[in-house]
Amino acid sequence: MSVAGISITEDLGGGAVLGVAALAAVALVLLVFELRSRDRGGLLVVATGFVGVALFAGAVLRPAKVSVRGTTVGPRVVVLVDESRRLLIPTSDGTRRSRALAAIKRLAAHFKDARLSILGFGEGKASPLPARDDDHSSLTTDSDLSTALSTLTEAAGERPSSVIVVSDGRLSSPSSDAVNPDALGKLGVPVHTVKLEEHAPADASIRSVRAAGAAVAHQPLALTVEVGCSGGLSCRSIPVTITELGSGVDSVVLATGEAKIEDGIGKVELEVTLDRAGARVLQVSIEAPAGDKIPENDSRFLTFSVTRDRIRLLHLAGRPTYDVRALRRWLKNDEAVDVVAFFILREGNKGEDDPNADEHDLALIEFPVNELFTVHLPSFDAVILQDIDAVRYKLTEHLERLTRYVQAGGGLIMVGGPSSFGGGNYAETPIDAVLPVEQLASGEDYDPAPFVPSYTEAGRAAPITRALRELLGDELPIMHGVNLLGQARPGSIVLWDHPRLKAGPAPMPVLALGEAGDGRSIALAVDDTHELAFSEFAEKVAGRAYGALWDGLLGWLMRDPRYEAARVEVVGDCIAGEPGKLRVTRLPGMRGAIDVELDALGLSKQPPVTLHQDGKDAEVELTLPKLAAGGYTARVRIGAAPPTRHDFACEPAGPAFSDSRPDPERLERIATVSGGRSVDLDAIDSIPVPTATEIAAERHVAPVLPPWAWALSAAVVLGAHWVSRRLSGLS
Amino acid sequence: MASPRLRLTLSRRQLLLGGSAAILAARSARAFGQEGAFNPRALTTGGVRWEGPRVSGCGRWAWELVRRTSAPARLVPSHVAADDPALLAEPFAVWTGDSDVAPLTAPERKGIERFIDLGGVLVVDDFEPGQGTFGRAARRELTSIFPETPLVKLMARSGGDIEQEHVIYKSYYLLDRPTGRVEGPPFVEAIVRGRDTQVIFLAHDLLGALARAPDGSWKFPIEPGGAEQREYAIRFAVNLAMYVLCSNYKDDQVHAQALMRRRGRFQP
Repeated sequence: MSVAGISITEDLGGGAVLGVAALAAVALVLLVFELRSRDRGGLLVVATGFVGVALFAGAVLRPAKVSVRGTTVGPRVVVLVDESRRLLIPTSDGTRRSRALAAIKRLAAHFKDARLSILGFGEGKASPLPARDDDHSSLTTDSDLSTALSTLTEAAGERPSSVIVVSDGRLSSPSSDAVNPDALGKLGVPVHTVKLEEHAPADASIRSVRAAGAAVAHQPLALTVEVGCSGGLSCRSIPVTITELGSGVDSVVLATGEAKIEDGIGKVELEVTLDRAGARVLQVSIEAPAGDKIPENDSRFLTFSVTRDRIRLLHLAGRPTYDVRALRRWLKNDEAVDVVAFFILREGNKGEDDPNADEHDLALIEFPVNELFTVHLPSFDAVILQDIDAVRYKLTEHLERLTRYVQAGGGLIMVGGPSSFGGGNYAETPIDAVLPVEQLASGEDYDPAPFVPSYTEAGRAAPITRALRELLGDELPIMHGVNLLGQARPGSIVLWDHPRLKAGPAPMPVLALGEAGDGRSIALAVDDTHELAFSEFAEKVAGRAYGALWDGLLGWLMRDPRYEAARVEVVGDCIAGEPGKLRVTRLPGMRGAIDVELDALGLSKQPPVTLHQDGKDAEVELTLPKLAAGGYTARVRIGAAPPTRHDFACEPAGPAFSDSRPDPERLERIATVSGGRSVDLDAIDSIPVPTATEIAAERHVAPVLPPWAWALSAAVVLGAHWVSRRLSGLS
Repeated sequence: MASPRLRLTLSRRQLLLGGSAAILAARSARAFGQEGAFNPRALTTGGVRWEGPRVSGCGRWAWELVRRTSAPARLVPSHVAADDPALLAEPFAVWTGDSDVAPLTAPERKGIERFIDLGGVLVVDDFEPGQGTFGRAARRELTSIFPETPLVKLMARSGGDIEQEHVIYKSYYLLDRPTGRVEGPPFVEAIVRGRDTQVIFLAHDLLGALARAPDGSWKFPIEPGGAEQREYAIRFAVNLAMYVLCSNYKDDQVHAQALMRRRGRFQP
């Protein structure tokens, strides 16, 4: 497009132009006034006078011809496509996402002359859509339109002429009651909306699960489960169940209830008590009525980070010794430990020991073994069995329960002594399944020869022994005998072994750690660790070595992060069927390759998935395979150090599917508030196309006459004017 | 399942099977499981030899403990000098005497200080509590090592500010007072550091009540008298041993209600 014209002057200002015009006008007025006294020939005088003044003015101003050539570009239009995983909810003809992709194609056709930017919005600022339609890596839980619009407002450069939002309307932001210009980013342009779905599917879903406060081990936690019912589904009361998933054990139902549905919504508050600290995976599920079209939102798998206010320990000792004394003093001096202790002070009540006193003169109470193991066992975080005979003190009948307790997440330490391990009749009992070492059922129970335990490679690498080794290096006190044990069980870690005795081809374990289901166990085959607290050896470090050892053992048993080799976390959400990332951060001093065993929680029959990463990087991200919905445990081992365990949940669809109802009204309000238009998929062509933007690209300037021509013409005409004046009798 | 097997320990069963405490002690000393056995070692100072009529009292103390309880003990207790590094081998010793003691040497003071700092328990037993010379001397020496810790009276029932109810009266037997060869005061004095009662001063001649003659009779008569008083002295000795082995176990809440009921002090 071109525009042409004349410019009076190109280089003089407005004042100069006015001055020239004023002078010309004065000259012409004087000329008219002079003509009254002429004798003849007035017309020629007037003509030359006027022409001469005009040419003189032209010589001063030098007018020019100006032509402007302009370029027109299409309007900038931004399409914001909802990137929430919610758009994977099925529709009659595919999914909401497939409709969104179809809408993009129609918009591209409709706005073929516009400069179209197609961005996705979900969490944070808007970003380009992935190149492939089946790439779900950028899908999010939320649909935060407000933030996406704000980023358009704040971006440098040309603002769009209009914005088109493609969504089902179930936005995280703006909420339905907060649709106003502020929430729309103050763009000042129309925001059109394309409604992907207008009808709610027949669906019962878990809308939300909210916890009243933090989860603390052994303390009741109230969970409020909100259940929704929509799309004409017949719902009156929907059963809700909460189960806890564990490793190698069947899931345990923690609570059940019913949500009464009124106006499509219902709530039920369920109280659960989690006895184990750390990451615990709960499954919240509803029993949806027949006709439910979206089963993915009938279950939620949630990871709860359970803390503990105090460690609750059950300490059972078969007889009082200095080793029992040392452990008790250490436990009682730790404010974070709540210890319940039972020591056998008298062997039998039928005369094996003879107190020579009536019962009422004795400060003895009966060992409540049945009550402890049938009623109170789950309330303890760990059990310490110290030199206590299983048969004599009637523990045998409870060992299966104790085994299940460990597999369900409890801790177990068996401390050595004549009545520990095989010597305490624990061999070939259910407890074998959870101890980290094999027990010997026949032969000698212990070797009385003094020895000094040796650190294994794992013992040197383990954070458990770091504090002890910082105090004593590799030095350990002389131990006066050891329980005879078999080999370490597969997967167990031996920290100390015997310098002479063998268990199979390997040195006999003296201190070993193991995982059993959700729980952990420790086997310590000596009864002399009190030498670290009280002895000439211990005095070198003021007795602090005992606390250093037991801090590590109990800390590891209780999954204290300080005694783990790595920090493990899932990056972002883990969604079933989508690849995920596992971030492993080495703790200081941890060297070696990273090996991960990934196993499903529950009674999984599948072999674990293994991942391996060489290198020395402090932090690595390992790609997880596509997982099915459920709970998982990742056991991460760095070099020779004991493994670190991290439990996590992988959801069928996550909270994005929690509310399947579309919200077309919200899209309409957004359009109305911003002056846009809300249309469905078939009416995309009715969205107005903004006018094109003109951009001035070229401006040509050419003088009407060269300056010398103006001056010469003015001189000639003014000369003729002078002659004509003289001829007409003027001076 | 493995069948129950009896273990060779220094328990009452061993006493019955072995027939001789000395033999048993020699056979099992430092065997597996015995490293943590109660050992009422005598503490000597100033180069004084551990001898006299009450030497057998330590062995009897261990014997009574083994006979009456499940605790293992050394039936032939040793003795150790205050300046001997072996003092730190075990967390218990008993310092006895009947007369004034020479001021402790620097190595002796250092030895006792290290022993207590590591958590050891020292019982001071005055053989002549009527005179109290040894008791005063021991208090003088020990309070000069630990001047920051005033003496407190430990009683079966709490009294005033400096009288504490203490677990030594219920660590195995329920007792109303300490007793030895002499009846003595109804309390013991103690140095309590933090939560731990670490030095216990007896004015009851406890080893005198326990000492045996070569013919198997009691070495010393009881004052004011009777077999019952000797029995209570033995019970008190057992309680002291149990306190050393179990610390304040009987103060645990799980025991408190039952024990208060037995003492007749339980108010539901």
